[in-house]
Amino acid sequence: MPPLEVILQQAFNGLMLGVMYALIAVGFTLFFGVLDVIHFSHGDIFTLGAFAGLSLTFLWAAVGIGNPAVALLLTFLGALVLTGLIGVAAERACVKPLAKAPPLMTLLATLSLGLVIREAILIFYPRGADPKPFPAMLPQGLFEIGGVVIRYENLAILAIAGVAMVLVDLIINRTRVGASMRAVAQDAEAAQMMGVNLNRTVDFTFFLGSALAAVAGILNGLYYSEIHFIMGIMGGIIGFSAAAIGGLGNVYGAILGGLLFGVLQTLAAAFIPRGSEFRDVVAFAVVMVFMVFKPTGILGEKTIERV
Amino acid sequence: MIGVWAVELGLFVLVVAALLAERPIAVGLTVAAIGILLLAARTSPRLWGWVATAFRTHRAAALAGAAVLALALPFFLRASPYWTFVATMALIYVTIGQGLNVQMGTAGVINLAGAAFAGLGGYTVGLLTVRLGFAPWLAFAIGPLVAMVVGALLFIPILKVRGHYLALVTIAFGFIFNILMNNLEFTGGPQGIKNIPTLRLFGHAFTTAPTLFGVTLPSHANFYYAALAMAALVTWLAWRLYNSWVGLTLNTLRDDEIAAKCSGVSVTRHKLLAFSIGNLFVGLAGAFYAVMVGFVSPPDFDFGYSLVMLSVVILGGLDSIPGVVLGACLLIPLPERFRMLHEYRLLLYGAAIVLMLLFRPRGLWPAGVRRYGLGSPAGSFGAAGTRAEGVGVSR
Amino acid sequence: MSLFATRGLTVRFGGLTAVDHVDAGVEEGETLGLIGPNGSGKTTFFNAVTGLVPATGEVVFRGAPLPGLEPHQICRRGIARTFQASRLCLGLSVFDNVLIGMHTHVRCGLLEALFRRARMLSEVRQALKQAAHLLSLFNADLVDRGFDPVGALPQIDRRRVEICRALAAQPRLLLLDEPSAGMSPEETVELMKDLQIVREEMPGLSIIIIEHDMFVIEGVSRRVVAFNYGRKIAEGTFAEVARNEEVREAYLGRGSGTEGSARA
Repeated sequence: MPPLEVILQQAFNGLMLGVMYALIAVGFTLFFGVLDVIHFSHGDIFTLGAFAGLSLTFLWAAVGIGNPAVALLLTFLGALVLTGLIGVAAERACVKPLAKAPPLMTLLATLSLGLVIREAILIFYPRGADPKPFPAMLPQGLFEIGGVVIRYENLAILAIAGVAMVLVDLIINRTRVGASMRAVAQDAEAAQMMGVNLNRTVDFTFFLGSALAAVAGILNGLYYSEIHFIMGIMGGIIGFSAAAIGGLGNVYGAILGGLLFGVLQTLAAAFIPRGSEFRDVVAFAVVMVFMVFKPTGILGEKTIERV
Repeated sequence: MIGVWAVELGLFVLVVAALLAERPIAVGLTVAAIGILLLAARTSPRLWGWVATAFRTHRAAALAGAAVLALALPFFLRASPYWTFVATMALIYVTIGQGLNVQMGTAGVINLAGAAFAGLGGYTVGLLTVRLGFAPWLAFAIGPLVAMVVGALLFIPILKVRGHYLALVTIAFGFIFNILMNNLEFTGGPQGIKNIPTLRLFGHAFTTAPTLFGVTLPSHANFYYAALAMAALVTWLAWRLYNSWVGLTLNTLRDDEIAAKCSGVSVTRHKLLAFSIGNLFVGLAGAFYAVMVGFVSPPDFDFGYSLVMLSVVILGGLDSIPGVVLGACLLIPLPERFRMLHEYRLLLYGAAIVLMLLFRPRGLWPAGVRRYGLGSPAGSFGAAGTRAEGVGVSR
Repeated sequence: MSLFATRGLTVRFGGLTAVDHVDAGVEEGETLGLIGPNGSGKTTFFNAVTGLVPATGEVVFRGAPLPGLEPHQICRRGIARTFQASRLCLGLSVFDNVLIGMHTHVRCGLLEALFRRARMLSEVRQALKQAAHLLSLFNADLVDRGFDPVGALPQIDRRRVEICRALAAQPRLLLLDEPSAGMSPEETVELMKDLQIVREEMPGLSIIIIEHDMFVIEGVSRRVVAFNYGRKIAEGTFAEVARNEEVREAYLGRGSGTEGSARA
């Protein structure tokens, strides 16, 4: 048994991964909740968010915005909006036209769209094949508490992710558009009859989910100090896994699933022999166990199947 | 009948010319000629009607003609081992495509780990021959079975969950397979397994250049003919499967699981059956690949290839057996012919699938109505005939 | 002893009781009408009987209990059904849609499909003849269009194909879930004729039919059961049930005063 502070340290590190996974997972769960689709290019939207953020930092530097806090805020806002709009475009192109087709079609179309996005970044972003260094924009430094090292940077990441999650919760539960989303999630037809604009609601859902992926993408860049065009494959699969573990359609479940996945991965990497190589194997093995014994996830999946 | 052969021969000449042309302008011209001809045939109802009717009425002759041309191809490509190799790869993808098509096209069971199942077949051959000293043919026979059994073991626990979870589990499985192959000692890690012994048939090693009718062909022609036999066998089996009760049952559970259940179909059993048959075919292709190139390594079986396999089926037409053949024969050689497009290959595949799904979801060669190979025109089971016979229903 | 009977059949979705201790049965060769307002649990009753939703209580069919069986096993026992919203495979041919109904009687499997073609084909030919016969009972044109996709057919013919699919299973009990749904008055008249044909051709077959159209119910069934809020509120001849106070309230009186009494 490793000492407690080592476990705590790893759990804290896992939490860092976990909040990023959670932000991606929330997107998956929102799309599924509202439209009953798995948006498989969501992982690459996450990559796109990171690259949008990176490009914006260059832009701010070029136009001479020196204040790091202002630059950071503008980076987030710009990437959020940009990625959100791309998410809506993806939905309009690949999800909505196939709404009446078998689910397999949407799955294949979004999967292929992800491939297109990934390859487009590789080919069209300057030297896209290389990992891109991401500037450090958060306060540096660290302190120690009970043998656990905590970096200010990491606290800031947690805070940003936390704010994003609280905002999503408020949007879903306290706003008109959130009420529309919940109504459509329950019964799209009935919601429409009650005067909900289905198209607008779906668009907004994809905007929101994709914007969250952009937050995750930038946080990912800030945390690892680099981003890479293929990070969306794993990001997407893990985000989907997290949403599935938590219970598809349930936002809190997605957050829980993301945190669980992050902590699990980190602990596996730290405490299993050659764990850093096999951490994904362990994490996916857990996913499979979940699929076998609790396929509806921790907090249950919305299941409406009409006969 | 002559017309059918003329069409086939004309297409064949153009394809061989396109493959062997050296100057870019010649390549462009021949490929454009093929494209324009196909487009013209497809857009002119009269022309297409004539072609379709001719091929339907002389199906045996058409198949025989195609077989002769396929057998003759290495003679025309003998100057180029490279194109013989590419043609062989296309045939391997025909085999893979038929396997995936049984799963996704016929039964609607998604499999996003095609490359991993091919890898299971390939790695099994490598491990059994190189590490354990099995006879090549024995290992080659076991490889596909391993792919099938592992697939079933993966599948059984998740039979009851909904389709998108299967997508997740197969993607995850594909990655786990790759991570394991990369990191385990006995699979050779990133280097993979080298020096897989080649097959021998009647004392003739597949690596020796064959001489047929006094013409010496490149050694790859051995594998071309073997792959042709494999692809033909698998396509034939897939055709029979499709035109049977099993094909009908799988189609029904794909289209409406509840209706299938209430018609007495055991959904779990049939999904498992489709998944297993598909993985058997895919594993067979993987084993063949391992024997052909003589080594296996993780990058040969990564997620990107799973997507390429998917594109073959979607481009050709989900559930369409001839469509899969067409899809493989287009998708595999085209990027090789246009090397300048090679960098954009995956981008174009992805875009092609998206566009196909949006605008032509049934593929280039859509699946027809199932006729069970009875070859009878509609109405032969007409009311008049049956009333006379008075077949009873349950009383 | 009746062919089919339920005792205390109950289906709960969370806090909602969709079917509440229903006792119902049908004799051999009888047609039972099942009526009730929207959401009164009629379809859920069918779903429970066919094993699509979990239920408690007893279901006895041909002297054996059904609960615990999978839907496909229940079909094998001899219960076939249609669905309110058609569940045909629209891309498959008319013949294919009927042939799948014969699934439980098919002898040839994978081995025959791949390697013993002659045996399988003779079975398929036989099945096609039987399908053609069934289709021709309703509409001879359907046989000529046997290799057309079902999606190309008009609504009434789709319904006929669905009924043929259910009949192809050679069931002892046929469950028809609102066959007239989505049809014009003219088509409904046609449908009634079709149901009479089924009645004449298969006198031994028991049928339970859910209908909103009282005209259809009156025409095809002698005995009627009425549902409301998941409970059986009346049973008897059509005339008796139609006169029943609670039934009239369930259908007509939805005012504040009457609702309470309907629940009571």
